[in-house]
Amino acid sequence: MQPHTTPHDEAGSFYAKHKKVYPREVHGIFATFRTLGVLILLGSYYFVPWLSWEGHQAVLFDLPARKFYIFGLIFWPQDFFYLAALLIIAAFALFFFTALAGRLWCGYACPQTVWTEAFLWIERKVEGDRNKQIKLDNAPLSRVKFSRKFLKHFLWISFSLWTGFTFVGFFTPILDLAKEIYTLNLGSWETFWVLFYGFATYGNAGWMREQVCIYMCPYARFQSAMFDKDTLVISYDKTRGDPRGSRKKSADPRAMALGDCVDCTLCVQVCPTGIDIRDGLQYQCIGCAACIDVCNEVMAKMDYPRSLIKYTTQHAIDGFQTNLLRPRVIIYAILLTIISGSLIYSISTRLPLKLDILRDRNTLYRVTPEGKIENSYTLKMINMDKIPHHYTLSVAGVTGINIIMRSTDILINAGDSLVLPVQLAVDPANLPGLSQKISFTLTATDNPKLSLTQTGAFVGPRTH
Amino acid sequence: MTNTDTTSTPITQRVIAVLWPSFLTAGVATILFFTAFDPQIILAVSGYSEISRLGGYTIGFFLFWMLTSSSCALTCYFQRPCLDPSAVASPRE
Repeated sequence: MQPHTTPHDEAGSFYAKHKKVYPREVHGIFATFRTLGVLILLGSYYFVPWLSWEGHQAVLFDLPARKFYIFGLIFWPQDFFYLAALLIIAAFALFFFTALAGRLWCGYACPQTVWTEAFLWIERKVEGDRNKQIKLDNAPLSRVKFSRKFLKHFLWISFSLWTGFTFVGFFTPILDLAKEIYTLNLGSWETFWVLFYGFATYGNAGWMREQVCIYMCPYARFQSAMFDKDTLVISYDKTRGDPRGSRKKSADPRAMALGDCVDCTLCVQVCPTGIDIRDGLQYQCIGCAACIDVCNEVMAKMDYPRSLIKYTTQHAIDGFQTNLLRPRVIIYAILLTIISGSLIYSISTRLPLKLDILRDRNTLYRVTPEGKIENSYTLKMINMDKIPHHYTLSVAGVTGINIIMRSTDILINAGDSLVLPVQLAVDPANLPGLSQKISFTLTATDNPKLSLTQTGAFVGPRTH
Repeated sequence: MTNTDTTSTPITQRVIAVLWPSFLTAGVATILFFTAFDPQIILAVSGYSEISRLGGYTIGFFLFWMLTSSSCALTCYFQRPCLDPSAVASPRE
């Protein structure tokens, strides 16, 4: 798809002389899907932080404690690999669904769409439908206008603040947060983020709306690269619809030399980005299908066949067969399966134990009074399990190697870490070379399967 | 100045072109940086131990945003065409 732009519509019109878009309310199958999306997504956003799981908040990205809780799983900064994998999966999923079904994300799941939809709903409840809103905006300031506007902004701001509060509730325990707000004891950083996120919601969903999609969204700009002629797009059937013109329901359009489009402009009125889909595919189109719903309603009233505006592909429009399984779709699907599969495998077989070995960098080795060669190490261990464990440490790689440490019993509490200095001593006769590979094994005493081995190096003097 | 691309771009769009991409990259940078380094340790070492971790994250984010937005602003500035020396000289003629 090539973005449809004309030299004059690009720059000036939306910022300098931006016209407010009043999307008309629409009913239909796709509107129902979107409402469902809004309810599920916003519902889980506002609800999930209040869930609890085994004594902690079920989903908590505990920034102050640097631990992420997701139901039964606890992630540490060391688990960053999983986050990276998750982001890669999200990116490939976006590529996959975009190649297959176009801007599915934009029309149904994007937070910008979802929150705008919620804000539009509030606006409609307070100010009425499209015509009433336009009338109210054009009317001089009166007591009624002021109270309507005041109520709308009051509701918007309250909703935004609740949104900001929920957002912070994902990062600091939401119950504590609620208590702090109730007792007017909220920390300054938390207050800041509640206001910041609330303000962003109010600005983006209340004021910016479609401009975010058109000017600020990077995806909207590069999504055309993922499109091909078999991607689902929303399109107006020009051959069937044109020439457009109004007519009575009883009139025969063929006799009047008219197409099926009655030129009611409802498709323009419902469009959240204010475009005319009949002008062809445009980059401003977020694929929300509101125009499909409303046009189908009109077609039904006229007793014309549905789908004058419909989800279709460029190939179908040009009279070819639509090809679902294209190389790019297959490649995206394979990559997506491999990465998600390995992530799930890796998380499910994850050992709740971490061991890092640092050799003392200051001295290569030390010769003890007994003539043994000694190396120093710092071991960093984390017990990521939900219960405390006792561990034993063993070393292999050199015969007759001795571990020197404070205590042979290592106790680490649940979710705790321990830094342990350890010395290893070896008889020089057992050292074959300059540097010898050794391995540390940490094993839980109550569970032999909970065992982790890490390799390190043991350095000795030149033997010849 | 002539009516070039940059000068004809509305001011709001230019402000967004500076603030928004830098916001996104600053967010990514914050995540990457603080995954590797604990803000509390950095703060303690630099003598600001009274600032909490959340404060550290916030300060870090805005520092990153300041950095990324300044480079965006510079890019935006350098996009303007250089003044042609002959055009500068022309008023004297």
